[in-house]
Amino acid sequence: MAPIIRLENVGKCYHSGLSCEIHPLDGVSLDISFGERIVLLGKSGSGKSTFLNLVGGVDLPTTGRIFFGEREITALTQRELAEYRRKEVGFVFQSFNLFPTLTVLENVMLPLDLLGSSDERRAMDILDAVGLAGQLNKFPEQLSGGEQQRVAIARALVKGPRLILADEPTGNLDLETGEAILQVIDRISRTKDATLIMVTHSADALWLADRRFRLRAGKLVEETFSTGIVAKA
Amino acid sequence: MTLSTLVTFNLRYYRRHSMLSLLCLMGISLGVGIVVAVQLINNSALSAFASSVDYLSGRATHSVISDYGRIEEEHFVRIWKHPGIKAASPVIQVMANTLEIAGEPVQFIGIDPFLDADFRDLGPMRRGERDLTEFLTSDVPVVYLSESLMERYGLGKGDILTVLSAGVEKKTRIAGSIPASGLSGGDTIAVLDISAAQEIFGKEGYLDRIDLIAESNTDRLLDIMPLGLHLTDSNERKSTLQGMLYSFQLNLAAMSLLALFVGTFLIYNFSMFSVLSRREDLSLLLTLGADRAGLVGAFLTESVLLGAAGSLLGIALGFLVAWFSIDRVSSTISELYFHISVESVGLTVPVVLRGIGVGFLATIVGTGLPALEVAVTPPVIGIKRQSIEDRAHGLKGLLTLAGVSLFGLALVAAWASRFSIFWGFASAFAVTFAFALFTPSILSQFTHHAGSWFKRFLGSLEAFLAARTIRASLSRTSIATAALAVALSMTIGVDTMIHGFRQSVDAWLEGSLQGDLYISPATTKWAHPLPDELIEMLRQDPRVEAVERYSTYGVRLKGKPARLRVVDGSVLKHRSRFTFLQGERSAWDKMEQGGVFISESLGYHFDLGVGDAIELATPLGKRSFPIVAMVRDYSSEQGTIQMDRQIYEEIWKDRKVQSVALFLKPGVSPDEVRRSVAQRVPGLDRTISSNTQMRSDILVIFDKTFAPTATLKGVSLLVALLGIATALTAILMERSREMTVLSYLGLTPAELGKMNVYQALVMGLVSFMISVVCGLILTYIITNAINYRSFGWSIDIHVNPWVFVKAFLLTGLACLAASIYPTYKLMRAAGVHSLEEE
Repeated sequence: MAPIIRLENVGKCYHSGLSCEIHPLDGVSLDISFGERIVLLGKSGSGKSTFLNLVGGVDLPTTGRIFFGEREITALTQRELAEYRRKEVGFVFQSFNLFPTLTVLENVMLPLDLLGSSDERRAMDILDAVGLAGQLNKFPEQLSGGEQQRVAIARALVKGPRLILADEPTGNLDLETGEAILQVIDRISRTKDATLIMVTHSADALWLADRRFRLRAGKLVEETFSTGIVAKA
Repeated sequence: MTLSTLVTFNLRYYRRHSMLSLLCLMGISLGVGIVVAVQLINNSALSAFASSVDYLSGRATHSVISDYGRIEEEHFVRIWKHPGIKAASPVIQVMANTLEIAGEPVQFIGIDPFLDADFRDLGPMRRGERDLTEFLTSDVPVVYLSESLMERYGLGKGDILTVLSAGVEKKTRIAGSIPASGLSGGDTIAVLDISAAQEIFGKEGYLDRIDLIAESNTDRLLDIMPLGLHLTDSNERKSTLQGMLYSFQLNLAAMSLLALFVGTFLIYNFSMFSVLSRREDLSLLLTLGADRAGLVGAFLTESVLLGAAGSLLGIALGFLVAWFSIDRVSSTISELYFHISVESVGLTVPVVLRGIGVGFLATIVGTGLPALEVAVTPPVIGIKRQSIEDRAHGLKGLLTLAGVSLFGLALVAAWASRFSIFWGFASAFAVTFAFALFTPSILSQFTHHAGSWFKRFLGSLEAFLAARTIRASLSRTSIATAALAVALSMTIGVDTMIHGFRQSVDAWLEGSLQGDLYISPATTKWAHPLPDELIEMLRQDPRVEAVERYSTYGVRLKGKPARLRVVDGSVLKHRSRFTFLQGERSAWDKMEQGGVFISESLGYHFDLGVGDAIELATPLGKRSFPIVAMVRDYSSEQGTIQMDRQIYEEIWKDRKVQSVALFLKPGVSPDEVRRSVAQRVPGLDRTISSNTQMRSDILVIFDKTFAPTATLKGVSLLVALLGIATALTAILMERSREMTVLSYLGLTPAELGKMNVYQALVMGLVSFMISVVCGLILTYIITNAINYRSFGWSIDIHVNPWVFVKAFLLTGLACLAASIYPTYKLMRAAGVHSLEEE
C-alpha cells in the first residue's frame, strides 16, 4: 500500500547568522502507511515538535521533501499549506490551546467553519463520543484539564482528517486522566480511520503504537517492542 | 534592589516594545501639543493686540472715547484747554484695504503732527520742515507706511498708495517709512494728516478718539467731559477688547482639552498593558528581593519619564502647530472681532510649564490605576490574562452604573449652565465620560451577539473570531473603543451644531437680505461711508424701486461694547422677513416711532427684552428707547440695536450711509445696474455684489470661523486612532498563541490579517454607534448650554445625515489605517512561529 506520509532525506536547521547552529532533524527518511499509528519519543529539544510541524505543513524543511499521499507538501504555497492543514490534519496540543472566548461547541465547530460547513450535528456527535455531550455551551475555563483535552481532541477530529498529529497530549494531565485521554485518542482515531503520529517523552503511550521511533541527534531511530532499536531511518 | 536597577529593567521593556511605546508617546505629545498650541495662539493674538494698542497709544495716559460712535471735533478744544491736561492729540483710526497691498488691510492713523509729537514718533515732525510742509499741504495726501510693510510689498518713497474707502479709490502718496522700533513686524500702519484721513474716510467734523497726557488726578477732567464721552486708558481698552475674545478663546481651549482627554485614554491603555504584560517579570523581581514599594516607585519613575518625554515633544509640536495656524486664527479674529496682526509666536515659560503640567497630569491619571494594580495586587507568577479579563467583565456593570450617575450629573450641570458657562463645559465632558463608561457593556454585548450574526448571516468566520477576540480582550478594546467614541461624539456633536448654526445663519440671511444688489464695504466694522452723491444717484435711478440704507456703529451700553445698526424701517417693513423672537411684524411701525429692535445676543447679555427700554448715549445726551422687538441676528455676538434712520439722523445729525441694498423694479437685470453703477463710480465694482454673492461671502466667513475647530477635532481623532492601533498591537502580543493555533487549524495569513482588520472595524462600528447617540446629546448641550451662554444666540438644531455618513466613512477608513501596521505584523508572523510544546 502506498504510504500516506513520506519523508525523503528531510533536514531542518535553525540559523544563527549565516551558519546552521541547531540541527533538530538531519537527513530523515520515513514512510508511514495509511491508518498506521506512530509514536515518536525523544528528549526535550530533540526535534519531536519540529518533526510534527514539518509533517503538519506548519514549517518547511531546510532540505529534503515531504509527501502527503502523492502530493509534495514541501512544494505547496502558504495558501495551499493552509488548505492542507484545514482539510487533512488534526492537531492535538499539550496545552490544549482552546479558545477561551469560544464555547465548547464553538471551539469544535471552528474547523468545520473553516471548511464552510455549519453542520453542528457533526460537532455534537464527536463531543458525545468524547463524553462531553452535556458541556456544549460551557467555556474552556469551566472545564477540567482532562475535559479541555477531550474538547481539543474533538476539535482535531471533527472534520475527519486523514492525519492526526498529537504533541504530548497527556503532558499537562495526571496519569489517570492521561490514560483516559489516550484511550479516547485510540478509540476515535481507529473509528475515523485516521493515521496518528504522536510525540511524547513518556513510555505510558507506547501501547497504542504500531511503530515507535526515537529522535537522537537529528536522526530517527526505530525501536522494536522487545529489543529496542531495529533500524536507522 | 535599587530603584535605578528597577528603572533600568523597566526601560528595557520599552526598547523591546518600541512601536507601542512610540504610539503612547505620540498620544501624550499630540494631546499636550494641541493644548500648548491653543494657548500659544491665544496668548500671541492677545499680546500682538496689546502691543499694538500700547504702541499706538504712545505716551498717552488716557483717551477720550465716545459711547455713541464718534466725537464731534468741537469737543477737542474744550478738553485740550483743561488745566489738568498736559497734552492732547485728536486721532482718526480706520482700517482699509489698498490696491498696492492686496490681501492685507492697513490701519490708517490720522493725526495732527504738531499735537501728536508729544505722543508718538510716527509723524514727520522729526524729519524736517520740508517733510512737514509736504505732509500738511500736498495736493495728494501723503502717508508714512510701516517699514516692514514697504519692504514686503516693494514700495518706496513717492509711490502711490490707492486707498479703498467703501470700495471707492482714493489716491495717496508714500512720503516715507515708520521706523520699526517698537512696532511689531506684522503691524500694517499708515500715518497721514488728520484732515486728509477725515476726508478720505468720510469723517469730516468727527474724531475717533482724543489721546491725552493728563495729570494723575483726572477727577476734575471728568466734570467737563461732554455727554456721551468718557475717559479711558489703554489698559481698559485692552481688557474690553480682550473680553470680546473670551468666548472664542474659551471654546478653542475646551476643544484642545478634548484632545488631551482622548490622549489620556491612550496613556491608560498603554500603561495597563505595560503592567499586565510584565506581571511575570514583576513576580520574578519580587522573588529576587525587590520590594513592592520599589516596584511601584520604578513604575511611577517610568511614567514620569514618559510624561516628561511626551510633554517636551508636545511643547515642540504645539509650537509648530501654533506657528503654522496663527495666520488663520488671527484672520478669523480680525474678521469677527477686531483687527490683529500677529507675526510671531512666542514660547513663554508659563506656557511651557503649563504644557509640562497637563502632560504630567494626563500621564498620572492614565498610569494611576495601573500603578495601583502593581501596588495592591500580588503579581503571582503564571496568573492568567483571562482572570484580568474576567475582572474587566465583572467591572462593566459597575462602570455602567457610574456612567448613569455621571449622566445624571451632566443633566444637572446643563441646567446649571445658566449660572456659569463652566457648567456647560462640565456637562459636555460629563456626558462624554458617561458614554465612555458605558462602552465596556455595550462593546461586550454587541460583540457577543454580533459574532454569531457575522457567522450566521455573513458567513464570515474571520468577523466572528474578530468579535470574539474583542470581547476576550475587553479590558483593552473597551478603552480604545471608548477613546474613539469620545473623539467621534465630539466630531458628530460639533459638526451637527455647526450644520444647524449654518442653516440658522442662512435662514437669517435669507430673511434679512432681500435686496437684489448690495453695495457694501469689505466689512461694516470699518465703518466707511459711501459717497453722498452715490446714494442720491441710486435713489434717482428709475430702475431702482427702493434703496435700503444701512450704517453700523460701535456704541457702549452699560460700559460694554455693542453695535448700533441704522436701518430704513419703512423699506424693511415690506421687504424683509426677520425672525421675531419677541414682538411681531407690527413692531416695524413702532420702530418708526422711536422704538428699537434688539438682537437675541444683546437681550441675553444685557438681560433685556420687549417692554424694557434701552438707554443710549447720544450727541444730545442719554436717551431712552423702548425695545419693541427681539429678532434673530447673528451679525455680532456683543449684540445689535436696530434703529430707524429717521430717528437716528434726528438725534445724531449724521446722514452717512455705509451700505445699501437695492430693490430693483421687476424685469430689471441686476447685472446691468451693477455695470452702470460701477462705471459711474470707479472702484465700486469691488463692493457691489448680488444677493447670492453677498450671502455666500458671509457663509465663507462663517466657515472660516470654524476652521480651527476642524483642526482640533482632527487631532482628537488622530489620537483616538493611535489608541485603536495600540489596542490591536497589544492584542496581537497578548494573543499571539491563539493566532498561531488558528494558523495550525488552517487559517491563511491573509485570513488572519482579515480578522485583524475586522477587529478594528468592529471597534470602529461600536464607537460610531455610541457616538451617534452621545454626539446628538452633545449637540443639544453645545447649542443650548455652551453656545447660547457664550454668544447669546439660539440655533435651530438640524440633524444632517451627511454628518453621520461622513463620520461613518471616516471611522471606517481611519480604523483600516489604524489596523495596517498590526495586520502587517500579524501576517508577517503567521506561519513563521510554531507552537513550542517541548
